[in-house]
Amino acid sequence: MARHVPLVLASLAAIFLVAPMAIIVPMSFSKAISFEFPPPGYWTGYYAQYFSSRSWLEATANSFIIAFASMALTLIAALPAAFGFVRYRFHGKSMLNLVMMLPIIVPAVVSALGYYSFLGPLHLVGTHTGMIVAHSELSIPVAFLVVAAALKGFDRNLERAAMSAGAGPLRTFLWVTLPVLRPAILVGALFAFLHSFNEAVVAIFIAGRDASTLPKKMFESIRLESDPVIAVVSTLLTGAVLLGVLISLFFRQRPAQG
Amino acid sequence: MQVGLRRGLPSRDGLTAWLLVAPAVLCIIVLFIVPIGYVLLLSITDPTVSLDHYRRFFTVPLYANVMVNTFRTSLIVTVACLALGYPLAYVMARRNDAVAVVLLVAVGLSFWTGFVVRTYAWLIILGNKGPVAATYAFAGWGNPPQLLFTSFSSTLGMTHVLLPYMVLALYGVMRKIDPSYVRAAEGLGARPFGAFRLVFLPLSLPGVVNGCVLVFTMCLGFYITPILLGTPKDMMISQLISQQIEDLLAWGFASAIAVVLLACTLVLLGVYNRFAGLDRLWG
Repeated sequence: MARHVPLVLASLAAIFLVAPMAIIVPMSFSKAISFEFPPPGYWTGYYAQYFSSRSWLEATANSFIIAFASMALTLIAALPAAFGFVRYRFHGKSMLNLVMMLPIIVPAVVSALGYYSFLGPLHLVGTHTGMIVAHSELSIPVAFLVVAAALKGFDRNLERAAMSAGAGPLRTFLWVTLPVLRPAILVGALFAFLHSFNEAVVAIFIAGRDASTLPKKMFESIRLESDPVIAVVSTLLTGAVLLGVLISLFFRQRPAQG
Repeated sequence: MQVGLRRGLPSRDGLTAWLLVAPAVLCIIVLFIVPIGYVLLLSITDPTVSLDHYRRFFTVPLYANVMVNTFRTSLIVTVACLALGYPLAYVMARRNDAVAVVLLVAVGLSFWTGFVVRTYAWLIILGNKGPVAATYAFAGWGNPPQLLFTSFSSTLGMTHVLLPYMVLALYGVMRKIDPSYVRAAEGLGARPFGAFRLVFLPLSLPGVVNGCVLVFTMCLGFYITPILLGTPKDMMISQLISQQIEDLLAWGFASAIAVVLLACTLVLLGVYNRFAGLDRLWG
C-alpha cells in the first residue's frame, strides 16, 4: 500500500494542474453569457463570434507578428552569445553572464513600468515596434539558456575530426556544429516564441490598442466585461499547446539535445 | 585560423569572444537596463526631485502590511508548490513508463499555457455560478462562502500557475540522480522509505532550493493572478503598483514601489548566486 503513496500524491497534483484547464472547454460551448458551470445549454455561437470579431482577430494576428519578429531578433542576439559564453574565457565574463539573465530576473511589472517610461518619449508605446523590442529583450535569456546548455554538452571532438579531415572553420561550423545543435536552436526559438506569445504584463502596459496581443486583450476583457469569447480563445490556446506538447513528445524519442 | 578550436593567443580569443557576446549584451544594456533605470529615475523625480516616495513607503503602516502580506503569500505559495510538486516530480523522475509520460504532458501543458488563461479558469471554478457553488447548491448546503476575490483565491491561483516551475526545477535535479544509489541502499537492507530519506531526499535538495527560490521570487512580483483573483483588502506589491497607476496616476510612487520590489528580488537572487551560482537556477 505504502508503495503507491507517491503515485497517488502525484496523480492528485497532476489533476490539480489539468482539471481547471479542462473546465474551460465546456465553458467555451456554453450558452451562458457570463461564467456559469455547468452550462445551461450548448452551442458554438461564441466560436462564430471569435472568428467574426475584428478586435479578437487583430489581437491574434498581433500576437503572432510580435512573437515571430521578437523570436527572430532574440535568436540573432542569443546564438552568438551562447558560443561566446560557453567557448571562451574573457574579462568580466561572470558579471556579463548575470547581465544576460536580468530580463528573466527582473519582475515583469518593473520591466513593464520601465518600458512604458522608456518607449513613451520615443513614441513607441502602442506600436508593434515597441512590443517587438521589449519582447525580444525579455526572450534573450530564455533562448540563450537553451542553446548554451546544448553547447556545453557538445562533443568538440566532432569538430576536431572535421578539421583534421581537411574542413575549414566555416565548413566545420556549417556541416558539423550547426546540424548537431539544430534541435537545441529550434527548441530555443520555440521557447522565445512562446515567451512572447504568452507574455501579458509588459503587453498590458505598452501594447495600447493598436498592438494589443491576446493575453492583454483577454486580461482586459476579464476585468471589464467578462466577454464569453475569452473561453473560446482559452480553449483554442490550450488545444494548441496540448498539440505542441504531444508533437514534441513524439519527436523526443531520442534525447538528442543533451 | 583555428581560433575557435585551440586555445590560441589570449588577446585574439578575447576579441572574438567580445564580438560574439556584444550584440546580446549591448541589446540588454541599452534596451533593458536603461528602461529599468527610467523606473529608478522616475521614483525620485516625479513629481519633484526627492526621496519622499521611499520615505512614505517605509513609514505608512498600510504599505508595511502590503510587504508583509506579499512575503507571507509568497511563502505559502512556495510551500504549497513544494508539497504538491515534490511527489509529482519524484514519480516523473523515477518511472519510465506511460505514467511518467502522462504526468509530463500534464506539466508541459500547464507550463506552456499562459498565466491569463489559467487564472481565468479559477474565475469560473470559484465564481458564484461555478462548479463549487453548484456543488453547494446540489448538496443543499446553501450559499458557498465567498471564495473569489479573496486572498484565498489569489493564493490558490498562484499555486496553480507556479506549480509547473517548481516541478520542472525538481525534475531537472531528480532526473540526474543515479537510480542505482537507491537500489544499493535497499540492497544493503534499507527499507524503501529509509532509502528515500537517506539517499534520494538529500540528493534532491538542490532541486528543492532551486524550485523554492524560483517560485518565491516569481511570486513576489506576480501581477496577473493577484490582480484578477485577489482583493484590495489584502494587497500584494503588484496590486499596489497597479492601483497607484490606474486609480491615482501616481507614476512616481508606483515606480518607487517597483524599485523596492526589484531590490527584494535582487537581494534574494544575489544570496542564491553567492551560494549556488545563478546559472543553475533554470537547470
